[in-house]
Amino acid sequence: MSVLAPDRPSAEAPAPESGGIAPAVRSFGLRALSVGGFLLVWWAVARAEVWPPVILPGPGAVWDQAVATSTQGYSGHTLQEHLGVSLRRILVGSVLGTVGGVLLGLVIGLVPVARAVLGPFVTFVRTLPPLAYLSLLVIWFGIGEEPKIWLLVIASLPPVAVATADAVRGVAPDHLNAARSLGARPWHLPVWIVLPHSLPEIMTGVRIAVGVAYTSVVAAETVNGVPGIGGMIREAQRYNQTDVVILGLIVIGLSGLLLDWLLQTLDRTVAPWRGRE
Amino acid sequence: MPHAPEPALELTGVGHDYRRDGRRGATVPALDGIDLSLDAGEHLVVVGPSGSGKSTLLRLVAGFHRPTRGTVSVNGRPVRGPGPDRGVVFQRPTLFPWMTVRGNVEFGLRMAGLARAERRALAEHQLALVGLADAAHLRTYELSGGMRQRVAIARALAPDPGIVLMDEPFGALDALTRERMQEEVRSLWLLTGKTLLSITHDVGEAVRLGTRIVVLSARPGRIVLDEVSDLPRAGEPGTHPDFTATRDRIAHAVRAAAR
Ligand SMILES: Nc1ncnc2c1ncn2[C@@H]1O[C@H](COP(=O)(O)OP(=O)(O)OP(=O)(O)O)[C@@H](O)[C@H]1O
Ligand SMILES: [Mg+2]
Repeated sequence: MSVLAPDRPSAEAPAPESGGIAPAVRSFGLRALSVGGFLLVWWAVARAEVWPPVILPGPGAVWDQAVATSTQGYSGHTLQEHLGVSLRRILVGSVLGTVGGVLLGLVIGLVPVARAVLGPFVTFVRTLPPLAYLSLLVIWFGIGEEPKIWLLVIASLPPVAVATADAVRGVAPDHLNAARSLGARPWHLPVWIVLPHSLPEIMTGVRIAVGVAYTSVVAAETVNGVPGIGGMIREAQRYNQTDVVILGLIVIGLSGLLLDWLLQTLDRTVAPWRGRE
Repeated sequence: MPHAPEPALELTGVGHDYRRDGRRGATVPALDGIDLSLDAGEHLVVVGPSGSGKSTLLRLVAGFHRPTRGTVSVNGRPVRGPGPDRGVVFQRPTLFPWMTVRGNVEFGLRMAGLARAERRALAEHQLALVGLADAAHLRTYELSGGMRQRVAIARALAPDPGIVLMDEPFGALDALTRERMQEEVRSLWLLTGKTLLSITHDVGEAVRLGTRIVVLSARPGRIVLDEVSDLPRAGEPGTHPDFTATRDRIAHAVRAAAR
């Protein structure tokens, strides 16, 4: 954001981060401009009917669907319900994945044997596309809520585990020494020094994990996914309702942006020292 | 009262080689043949050229490294690791950025199991001693280098360790603050009778503060001068008639050691 801030005399520069009204307005203006430009091009291309509306519906058609699905619903549920169910899955999945990932990362980072045994396994799971293990989860857990949550947990756990393990190994030896000289016993160190030291990197891992959970939720909802945004998209695809598909994509994208913004804010609150040590 | 049977600090035949990463078996000799015995209540100041192993000596006493040769004992017991009986002020401040200034100073008190109100009062007192009473709520990255060093001093002193180890604690301070802090450390030492080990590049500071001054040679560090002095117990060490002569003698030894 500060990149977009206009140059100001250094006398009034001390405002931290995104200081002042003018840069905020300017940054907002630029964003509005880019979104507006995109909508205009989309509208123009759709209007020119280069492709039939089944391939590329215009913004107006998608907007009408947005109104229709929010008021009358789609596949028996309103847009809000679809989104709410998906968000709940993302939330539960990535919270469980984060807790598991932090614990696993701590063990991998602190215990050399665990690193040797579990490290390759985590890397292996991380490279698997969620759709690939969905089939296995469906066989194991059926088609209810369970396989979907498990999929998101498995998808979001490795990034957090890897980030935590790396951060843990990066803890400054003199921070540990200082703590020990101040009376900390060895078992105090993970909670008082190692974890807080690793918070900035863990938060980065969490942001990646939530992102992965987001991209995976559509995969999770390809099997019996209604209600759910992914399920809605899949239904729409079966009936060639391209405008609903695009609406689903936009809703996922926008809510993802919002969630990432929330996570960034959380990051600044829990780890304000990031990059300023 | 009779004299304590064992010295507060004793190094016998201590030598230390650092292992070098990457090259198998390659080592850097940092210290060699150090024999030193310090009574409780003394202030040992170590001076010497850069790289002469001053920090290494301090870190061995702190228990951060095990000596390659010889033994280090504190109050008659061999050092096995770091402990709250030895407070440490690091050469580079190692404050915890995830805590406020107050949190840093309270950390040792928390580990000692003190209740919240007690911790608060003691931390406030220590911060006032280093002139940072109004900085308690700040984050450590909001401080200047000299302020950080003063917080580090307050943090090390807060749990009231019997021995305080300070690696160039005043290095980052301006001349005026440095003088004030030197005087603060001297009166604290006079008042509490703590055993102090500090490192400095400032020979004048060494003479004002040290009842025992040790000069190390260039790598590997060996003791080339070991002086006992009573100046710090005087009212004004800086104006004592012996001050200049002692300072010149030590400065000469440091210069010779650097060659
Ligand atoms: N962790 C380390 N690994 C390898 N070599 C080290 C390490 N720490 C110090 N050394 C080496 O040991 C020698 C002594 O270092 P030390 O830090 O004790 O010197 P010093 O007297 O404190 O110097 P200065 O006055 O510059 O702080 C130096 O040659 C240094 O290169
Ligand atoms: Mg040093």
